Amino acid sequence: MNYTKEIQDIAAKLFAEGKIDVFVGYRVNGFDDNQVPVLITDPQDVSKLVFTDKSVFNLVNYLKNDHTRRKRVGLVVKGCDSRSLNLMLTESQVKRENLYVVGICCEGVVDEAGQKMQNCTDCMVPDAVVSDELLGTPSGSDTLSGSYKMNADIAMLAEKPLTERAAYFEEVFENCIRCNACRHSCPLCYCAKCCIDQETATLYNGANTTSGAFHALMTWSLHLAGRCVDCRNCEKACPSHLPLHLLHKQNESVIYENFQEHLAGVVTGDRGAFYKYSLKDPDDFIM
Amino acid sequence: MSVETFVTDKAGLQKFYEAVMASRETYAPVEKFGKFDFKRVARVTECDPESPIAKTQSIKPLFFPRSAKVMKFVATSAGTDVSETDEDPLAVKRAILGVKHCDARSLQVLDKVYNWDYIDTDYQKRRENTVIISTRCDRADTHCFCTSLDYDVENLDALDVLIVNGSDGKIYIKARTPKGESFLKETVTGQASPVTDEIASPDLKKQYDAFAGSFRLKMDYKEVNAKLSKIFDTPEFENVSGNCVSCNTCAFVCPTCHCFKISDEKVKDTGVRYKSYDSCNNGYFTLMAGGHNPRPVKYRRWRQRAMHKFVYYKERFGENLCVGCGKCTIACPVNISIFEVVNQVSAAGVQE
Repeated sequence: MNYTKEIQDIAAKLFAEGKIDVFVGYRVNGFDDNQVPVLITDPQDVSKLVFTDKSVFNLVNYLKNDHTRRKRVGLVVKGCDSRSLNLMLTESQVKRENLYVVGICCEGVVDEAGQKMQNCTDCMVPDAVVSDELLGTPSGSDTLSGSYKMNADIAMLAEKPLTERAAYFEEVFENCIRCNACRHSCPLCYCAKCCIDQETATLYNGANTTSGAFHALMTWSLHLAGRCVDCRNCEKACPSHLPLHLLHKQNESVIYENFQEHLAGVVTGDRGAFYKYSLKDPDDFIM
Repeated sequence: MSVETFVTDKAGLQKFYEAVMASRETYAPVEKFGKFDFKRVARVTECDPESPIAKTQSIKPLFFPRSAKVMKFVATSAGTDVSETDEDPLAVKRAILGVKHCDARSLQVLDKVYNWDYIDTDYQKRRENTVIISTRCDRADTHCFCTSLDYDVENLDALDVLIVNGSDGKIYIKARTPKGESFLKETVTGQASPVTDEIASPDLKKQYDAFAGSFRLKMDYKEVNAKLSKIFDTPEFENVSGNCVSCNTCAFVCPTCHCFKISDEKVKDTGVRYKSYDSCNNGYFTLMAGGHNPRPVKYRRWRQRAMHKFVYYKERFGENLCVGCGKCTIACPVNISIFEVVNQVSAAGVQE
């Protein structure tokens, strides 16, 4: 998977036609061959852009950024990224007319060790679902039903007795340092004032205690239930390397099974399981 | 100052570690989820004092906890009653193993601010009660630049006991401070033999030279200090902060960042007030009660971060607020390097 040339050409064309103010893409790190996001405002710099299987970070995060606010933005999205973009559009956080979206038919990205990321092996929506221009050959896997793969870690945890599971998550919360990098790197955490940042609240506080981390991470995961697109930006940002995807994948599988095979952000305008209420909604998965 | 050096081997070093653990509470890097954090240990097998620098958190939380109880309170309609918290659990005699040199140095930098207009007695107590045992790195990591900053890494006196891997499997244990010397008297028994400085020095020097030669990053901090102090208004800060996601993790993993916030945890009428880490990269860090925010945009927050590290702290206390450990770059989800930021900004020069 290498669309470096195509993306450079598209960005150069967009700047030449005056269609965008800033282009959000990837560039090579400089000290190794991993990639970091880059925001390009000078057409001279488009030669920095690359796209390979090391283009990991979900760039939709930058749509809530000072550098892109009230600007016309060109950006590159993979399958999972495009789903989070879809949700940003549905939730009225960005205007579609301000965006030029370069969609990728993603073949999976690799982590820093060169291993294919776990979310890519489970991926059900590899092709960008929102785009002005689509690069690559569509995989044609838009028939979603029946192909949902239970996350291997979730399946493994589900087999363990409740006490062991509790002990495992206690360790997760104990090792959290409450930097909230997971929240800030999440494209869908855009609240101007987050509920877990309140200084005087009785329920949430910023203290780095196991109960504080529990509250923060559980609230965060519930706010992303039915919205998380499994892009793993949070795990990439976590300085303690916590397996944060477990919190989200559990919600995802429950929602997929119980709410008409709902997957977040696949359909534009679909507000997701948490926004639709029906008396017929199942509730037997609640403990 | 008389200092003593011992020579031993791998097995002897293990024995020394065991003696340390027997003598007092010991903290050392313990692995969890592929990342090492300093935790209380009872056995050598639980920890790895030579944990890779790129995967190890700093020792800052052992002196400035991620969350410290400030006070307890009972708040009812009749009034508020405030009381002291339980005794500081970290204020006991203890030793830390596997401290990196940059981490040890960070305490010297923090001492300045903690002994400034307000003397933080909790911090003082923890400092006094702690013996720092530091193993010198054998090679620099991708993001290390400690040798480029304003401290002498080779003769660092921020650590009490220095451990160096010499040639032919020899391991040197050297006291660096009077505190370290008396600590070694307690803990080094039969397993290591004393060695004179004439014999040890060439080997120590050789190890240091190999280490110092392995750095990818080098800079002239004086030039950076001088240039940065003149370019507050450069638009370059906007460029270097472009892909920052304001996640704040750089400040949380930084061994020298010391800003904090206050929050209450309250159940019914009783509660505890906590002092926890905060970060200047946070959008609401400078938000005032009246709604005014002097740093509403990201590049201003990044400017504050870079300037505080290389200009303001230097002006006030004579030290850089950066020890070149590279932890922020490693933790950063988009690999923004403070090294690159300050160099790129100072290279851009003064804007007319």
